[in-house]
Amino acid sequence: MAARSLRAHLLRMLLPPIAALLVLGALVAYYPSIEPATAAYDQGLIDVGISLGTYIRVADTGYHLELPAAVDQVLRRDSYDTVYYRVLGPNGEGIAGDEGLPEPLSGSGSSVVAYDTAYNGQDVRAVAVPALCGRDSCRVLVAETLVKRKRMARDILFSTLLPEMLIAFATVMIVWFGVKRGLGPLARLSEEIKARSPGDLRPIDAAGTPEETRPLVSALNGLLEEVSQASRNQQRFLANAAHQLRTPLAGLQAHTELTLAKALPAEVRAELEQVHQATIRTARLANQLLALARAEPGARGNAAELNLKTLAESGADSWVHQALARDVDLGFELEWAPVQGDAFLLREAFANLVHNAIEYSQRGGRVTVRTGRHGVQSFVEVEDDGPGIPEAERERVLERFYRVPGTAGTGSGLGLAIVREIAAGHGATISITDAIGGKGCRVAITFPHG
Amino acid sequence: MRLLIVEDDAPLASGLRRILEAEGHAVDVTSRGEQAVLAAAQERFDLVILDIGLPQMDGFEVLRRFRAAERPMPVLVLTARDAVDDRVHGLDLGADDYMVKPFAMPELTARVRALLRRSQAHGGPRIVHGPLALDTVARRAFLKSEPLELAAREWAVLEVLLGKVEKIVSKEAIIQAVAGWGDDLSPNAIEVYVSRLRSKLEPSGIKIRTVRGFGYMLEEFKGS
Repeated sequence: MAARSLRAHLLRMLLPPIAALLVLGALVAYYPSIEPATAAYDQGLIDVGISLGTYIRVADTGYHLELPAAVDQVLRRDSYDTVYYRVLGPNGEGIAGDEGLPEPLSGSGSSVVAYDTAYNGQDVRAVAVPALCGRDSCRVLVAETLVKRKRMARDILFSTLLPEMLIAFATVMIVWFGVKRGLGPLARLSEEIKARSPGDLRPIDAAGTPEETRPLVSALNGLLEEVSQASRNQQRFLANAAHQLRTPLAGLQAHTELTLAKALPAEVRAELEQVHQATIRTARLANQLLALARAEPGARGNAAELNLKTLAESGADSWVHQALARDVDLGFELEWAPVQGDAFLLREAFANLVHNAIEYSQRGGRVTVRTGRHGVQSFVEVEDDGPGIPEAERERVLERFYRVPGTAGTGSGLGLAIVREIAAGHGATISITDAIGGKGCRVAITFPHG
Repeated sequence: MRLLIVEDDAPLASGLRRILEAEGHAVDVTSRGEQAVLAAAQERFDLVILDIGLPQMDGFEVLRRFRAAERPMPVLVLTARDAVDDRVHGLDLGADDYMVKPFAMPELTARVRALLRRSQAHGGPRIVHGPLALDTVARRAFLKSEPLELAAREWAVLEVLLGKVEKIVSKEAIIQAVAGWGDDLSPNAIEVYVSRLRSKLEPSGIKIRTVRGFGYMLEEFKGS
């Protein structure tokens, strides 16, 4: 579903009623003002009719209109319209004027009637006015074309519509910009959420947010609380899983080692050696999976001020024993290297780098652990003089469960994936390069300044 | 030596018991923290191997009660958890060493030996390491029962290394421990003393391993 714009939605809701109000307003303003204006124009025609009536004369031959040419001209003169008239005798016979001008369909001859009709192929407005002729009653019809009436109607319509259009336009503008302004607090809220790190599940501060967004903030905080609760549950689950897996593995390892210490037939010993190796691999794999799960966003602990040198020193004891077991010369070049981070995860990352280096070194090989600073950036790197990692494989070895084809050893392919995950969680970058001597490989984690 | 194992996982507990009995120790096993507290109150143990994840009373609580009752024996903590605070917590409460499960048996027996040696040597006049014996009161050293000539600083360096068998001791730590002998000591000087110690001890099978850029480690004596 396409995202719906609140603005467009509001406008869609508001525009039809605004349009209806506009039409209604125009009608309400138009009719009351057009009627008096029409009546005033009609009155003008009636006055002309009355004036014409006074020019009817009685003679022996009957009635006739004695209208001086000058008066006729004055009557017919008009800036916009053509004026027609017709004088009818007592029996409806035409006496003078424009032959064929229609009489009104209704009304008696003795009353004033205003009506719409047509003459000469044009719509006209006409009035019929009674006039005295001797003892009889005559009738004067006066009509005019509609030019100035239409003009007046247009003027009235325009003058009522213009202010209403302005009001409608203003309403649309207010909606358009008002919505943006009104949604400002929401935009600030989303900026605040966007700026957070993935592991930051602290509740959002509701202070400073408007009344209307409080339900949203409190719903979000509820969700954050649930997520962090779930994350705490996951942590507890991990601790339990670690215990549940490690204790039986420790038992298995103890018994295989006990049995291996006895005199055994060669083939039984070989089989048991396999079991022993598998036990150690399984233990390591369990540790790695737990470390990987812990490095997930949301499961991370709090960052503390740490020194990579101290972390490396604290791991040295167990690494040296691994190195001795494989006859590898493990050395240290440790300088002060402050970082912000999670001690457990960083130690796990170091341990994986060192373990890999020792695992893939030949007997009698050399592995060196360095910590220090390049400018303002702290780093840790582990260098070995083993076979190295081909250029084309360097990206892929960071993937989970990937192992360089043809590699000896029993790794799970998780070690560097864990290192990558942990580095990413600390905003640090991993680089894999050739060792300084050219032979072997050097894996470095460089931390951001601060 | 008399050892107490507090571990609720039966296969692991029986494995540990057999390994430590094979080392010549008398071993008692309990799966409950409450029983461990009681046993330690009634009898004297030379070392306790204590699992943290016990049902009901956990290892931390057992350790706290040991220390509250001022029981002097060293405690080696076993933990299946590896959260950093767990370790710190354990050591703060007075654990002498810890191991994360699972672990290799040779490492466990080495740590047990080191802890026992340390607690015996504590205040004791004699330190023994394979064919080497140091009489700290008379300040005399013997190698295969023959008197061994050691200069004062060689003696001091050797004493530091003997206190932490199988653990790396940094050059800085050695310098600090030897600083009582006054004048300035450079890391190079320490190298000289170590190399003299090596030439005297290595023919008898005692190995001092160099950890490049860090320090030295006196290896466990494995016979010459």
